[in-house]
Amino acid sequence: MGSRKIFGVCLVFACIIAACKHGSRRYQLRGQVLDKNLAKNEITVDHESIPGFMPAMTMPYKVKDPAVVQEVEPGDKIAAEVVVAEGGNDNWLENIRITAKSGRNTTKVPAPPKALAVGERVPNISLINQDGKTIHLDGFKGKALLLTFIYTRCPMPNFCPRLSSQFAKIHEDLAKTPGTYAKTHLLTVSFDPKYDTAPVLRRYGLAYLNNDASGFAQWDFASAAPADLRKLADAFGLVYFEQDNQIAHSMDIVLISPQEKIVKYWATEWTTAELEDALRTEATAKSTRQMARAGGMK
Amino acid sequence: MRRVHLCFLWWWLALIAALLDIWPACSDQHASQRGHELFQQNCAMCHEASNLDLKKQPPKLEGLFQRKALPSGAPATDAQVRKTIINGIGTMPSFQGRLSDEDVNNLVEYLHQLN
Ligand code: HEC
Repeated sequence: MGSRKIFGVCLVFACIIAACKHGSRRYQLRGQVLDKNLAKNEITVDHESIPGFMPAMTMPYKVKDPAVVQEVEPGDKIAAEVVVAEGGNDNWLENIRITAKSGRNTTKVPAPPKALAVGERVPNISLINQDGKTIHLDGFKGKALLLTFIYTRCPMPNFCPRLSSQFAKIHEDLAKTPGTYAKTHLLTVSFDPKYDTAPVLRRYGLAYLNNDASGFAQWDFASAAPADLRKLADAFGLVYFEQDNQIAHSMDIVLISPQEKIVKYWATEWTTAELEDALRTEATAKSTRQMARAGGMK
Repeated sequence: MRRVHLCFLWWWLALIAALLDIWPACSDQHASQRGHELFQQNCAMCHEASNLDLKKQPPKLEGLFQRKALPSGAPATDAQVRKTIINGIGTMPSFQGRLSDEDVNNLVEYLHQLN
């Protein structure tokens, strides 16, 4: 009797808990293991896009079962479930299955990207802008270019919406000095090409351009094919990670000279004024070659 | 033996009664509780904050449905707010793919109670 009573009470509570508890969410992941960290119980996976969760990218994941971290090896192809805890504050991999071990030892696991150094030339990477037109990263010769990375669904006010708001302020200020304005260009690149199609980018851009489409002449909103985005991320050493059920990325702003060389990176702290000053300075500075020539003619 | 059986039956009846009693309150509370959580995670950082470094300050959402219209001038209806959350509006991001239909319904439910 006593044990039945306890059983009954437990059952009632179990049912209440089951009725009130909202389940965690699960997403299917497929990809290749690039690295593992036994101490942190993590594996880094280069994964395909996870519908409803995030685009294809490489990032570290916590693993529920430490034994699995022992078992998998870099190069392995895996299928797994990403479990996002209720509330979205935590996530991890469960039910990891190794689907192919053939990559072990034979697959050269790529080293983490090394960003282009200051002074290096930007690569030719094709992007697709808000009009569906192909533009090239090295197509802004003669203009100082300020480049940043976003995705339009990014909800964190201190991340993408802030970057775009700051770019909007810079754009408005530049427009007041037409001489300098003409020698500058802004470029906002989304790394969520599946959602951020040309029409979505156009709508996003217009919201930051006071609905004036003529602003696109000086400010492109672009995305690219996944392979090109990967090249872009590698070129600028972007690190993607994931936080609170959102795509997060190392924030980066890159200033590129009219000679198409990297001038400066900002990754943690900056002000709108600082960015604008640097862009103006670069746009109006005589190129070193011009200066050398001028010096030589004396 | 018989007494034990009766006790067993009693416990099952108690269990069913308890569940029937608790269930509706529990699921109602669940919807707005869930809506509150979703709001804190997805909306509060913009709509409850001030002095954000943003082009447009997000409007306060208290009493949203008591107003004649939404801040944008669109009708203050559930359908319109649902659409706003899914598609975004102006500089507000879209939540497509991140919130389920059920999430959006829970959020709308919660916004009705936000006064
Ligand atoms: C990144 C900041 C940000 C986040 C996150 C955000 N909003 Fe907004 N929201 C805004 C801004 C900015 C506006 C004003 C848009 C405009 O009119 O240009 C707005 C407007 C609104 C409006 C008024 C729409 C209208 O027609 O006037 C509603 C309703 C709303 N948001 C609900 C939500 C809900 C619910 C969430 C969470 C799921 C949310 N918002 C998340 C920034 C945000």
